[in-house]
Amino acid sequence: MIVIATPQRRRAMWPAARIVGAAHVLVVALLALLGSVVVPSDPFAQSLVKALAGPDPAAPLGYDHLGRSIFHRLVDTLKLSPIITLAAVATAGSAGLVLGTAAAALGGWIERSLVILADALLALPGLLLVLIVLAMVPGTALGFWAALSLVLWVEFFRLTRAATREVLASPAVQASRLLGFGPIYLFRAHIWPEIAPMMLTAAAFGTATAIMAIAALGFVHVGLRAPTPELGLMMVELLPYWREAPLALLSPVIAIFALLLGLTLLAGSRKS
Amino acid sequence: MSLLKAVGVIVLDGGAPLLQPLSLHLDPGEPLVILGETGSGKSLLAQALMGTLPPELTARGRVAIADRVLDTGSPDRFRGLWGREIGVLPQEPWLSLDPLMRARAQVAETHALVRGLPRGEAAARAQADLAALGLAGAERRYPHELSGGMAQRVAIAAARAGGGRIVIADEPTKGLEAGRRDDVASLLLSEMGDTGGLLVITHDLALARRPGGRLIVLRSGAVVEQGPSRQVFAAPQDAYTREFLAADPENWSARTPRAGTEPAVVSARDLAVSRGGRSLFAGISLRIAPGRIFGVTGPSGCGKSSLGDALLGLIPPDRGTVTRRPGDHPHAMQKLYQDPVAAFPRKRSIGQTLADTVSVSGGNSADVDGLLDRLGLDPTLLGRRPGAVSGGDLQRLSLLRVLLRSPSFVFADEPTSRLDPITQARVIRLLTEIAEKDGVALMLVSHDAALIRNTADTVLSLDAAGTAAISEPATFGTPVAEALT
Repeated sequence: MIVIATPQRRRAMWPAARIVGAAHVLVVALLALLGSVVVPSDPFAQSLVKALAGPDPAAPLGYDHLGRSIFHRLVDTLKLSPIITLAAVATAGSAGLVLGTAAAALGGWIERSLVILADALLALPGLLLVLIVLAMVPGTALGFWAALSLVLWVEFFRLTRAATREVLASPAVQASRLLGFGPIYLFRAHIWPEIAPMMLTAAAFGTATAIMAIAALGFVHVGLRAPTPELGLMMVELLPYWREAPLALLSPVIAIFALLLGLTLLAGSRKS
Repeated sequence: MSLLKAVGVIVLDGGAPLLQPLSLHLDPGEPLVILGETGSGKSLLAQALMGTLPPELTARGRVAIADRVLDTGSPDRFRGLWGREIGVLPQEPWLSLDPLMRARAQVAETHALVRGLPRGEAAARAQADLAALGLAGAERRYPHELSGGMAQRVAIAAARAGGGRIVIADEPTKGLEAGRRDDVASLLLSEMGDTGGLLVITHDLALARRPGGRLIVLRSGAVVEQGPSRQVFAAPQDAYTREFLAADPENWSARTPRAGTEPAVVSARDLAVSRGGRSLFAGISLRIAPGRIFGVTGPSGCGKSSLGDALLGLIPPDRGTVTRRPGDHPHAMQKLYQDPVAAFPRKRSIGQTLADTVSVSGGNSADVDGLLDRLGLDPTLLGRRPGAVSGGDLQRLSLLRVLLRSPSFVFADEPTSRLDPITQARVIRLLTEIAEKDGVALMLVSHDAALIRNTADTVLSLDAAGTAAISEPATFGTPVAEALT
């Protein structure tokens, strides 16, 4: 007996893990968008008298070693890295989708050269590739966007190509071709419905990977430069003061943890 | 003492019963056959007995296997019995094999991991199992290099390698040709021996007749008739059982063949096709006239489907030419598939797919309504996705989609091999009617020689060696026309 899954019913069957993940991401997004509206202030304003002081109404999470409001630096960074990341994932996703479909549909030397390129990029460690591009491209945010797109498209490309090849070889596509449907219809009716769920999962994982990469490079002082607030940079700056101001150090740690956990739950939970 | 005893097994979908209370027992050395058409609940019964029902369905009732009594309401307890006590023969050969594993390794794995044999011995046993099933030489092939029948035999070898005393075979012969069907039945019987138990679930009358033992006929989740197999086949008591037995292609009335004098819709001269470097057949010449039925039969892997694909231009022939009737539109050659579910876009409603077909062929949407009526289909089916429609209805919907293109030639590739006899008879009758009334040239491919013999005007029989013989149905079996090699 087969049960028809209507859209409404599928929404109702969203697994708990996915709802928890979406809630995490939503909370972080709300904090980033509304934080500076609720408590207006400047993330760069220094007041050395208040260095490492505890929370007060103007700075709900206390102050860092230079007397800047942790809350406002956090709100600022939670806008910057997700924007870079989302731009990179969108670029990588579209490039991967177009090239993957083209490779599977056209075959021949086009497919071979794209696969060789993707495999070559895959053989390089992602962070190393990001560092190389950062050294070449002026402007750190732009550099991160370019570098992360270059790293992330491979995943989308491989997924799309594998799924599209399978779909194109199916009797359903053969039947549609015999009936006279063109390539646009084949993509819309056959290929896209099969790869869309995979693409969304890959996008969520890709976003998590990219945020982690930006933070990791910030942590080793080769990513975004101070005084730009950045999660990894904030952590390494506050690390020496963990005894005096544990909340100051914990704030960026909790923020990145919540964001990554949320994205991973959103991506990884499948109905068993 | 029974190997398996089930008491009061029912299956519910929410509150609605799909299977009425049913009790059965399986004795050593006496096969039990459950016969029923699609949707009769026979597969649900098997799943309830094994604890593999889909989670949205619930079962009640007790099952005693060996010395354990299990509640079908808590299926998790059945897990430990799989492979060791109960062996299951899978229904879909391609889906049940690992696509990345060679044939022998698939079988050796069960010998090594379930029976616990050392690697070398497991491989040797697997080799012997495959050889016994006529698969010698194919042990190093991957599943995609095997034909449907061969894949099924590999799956059978793997399933019985675990050594379970009870074998449950759910439609084990789906898509196999007659010769292999008997082999599967003999294989199951010999594996059962005097001490094992065998439960066969099928809609295939030839398979149901073969093992003997006891027979249960199911319809809409309820037992229609049961008793010793021989007795039920010889003198069916229930009207439904009689209808079922009459639907066997062997019992169809033969068609009076008609010669086609009109210009052929499609013709081939001296056609040779090979697949994967192996020559399938050579030197086939044929012509198919409008409104005529050209039957093709032969064992699996002989190239029946490839012949049709070559006529459609889907695969290039090695030699020879295919000629279409001049003046036909470019999409006038269409195909019906063995598995209609795989021939529709999976995630689109059928109504949507048909609407797309109407717009690409420049018709209007009233065509769909007219054809629904003509093919006896319920319009509510259009709102569903292909996976949620029964095989018989979906095959008729495929026919509807093809007819929207006003075809001049239709290649029907085993269109009914997955259907039960009653539905098969209905679909074949519909196909022949459409071919005659609309003047469509129909190429009907089936492994079932009786079906082809009683349906087609002209019969082409192929054998595994690539030898072809064209004959008129009246003289089928003794080719008089022309023997081609």
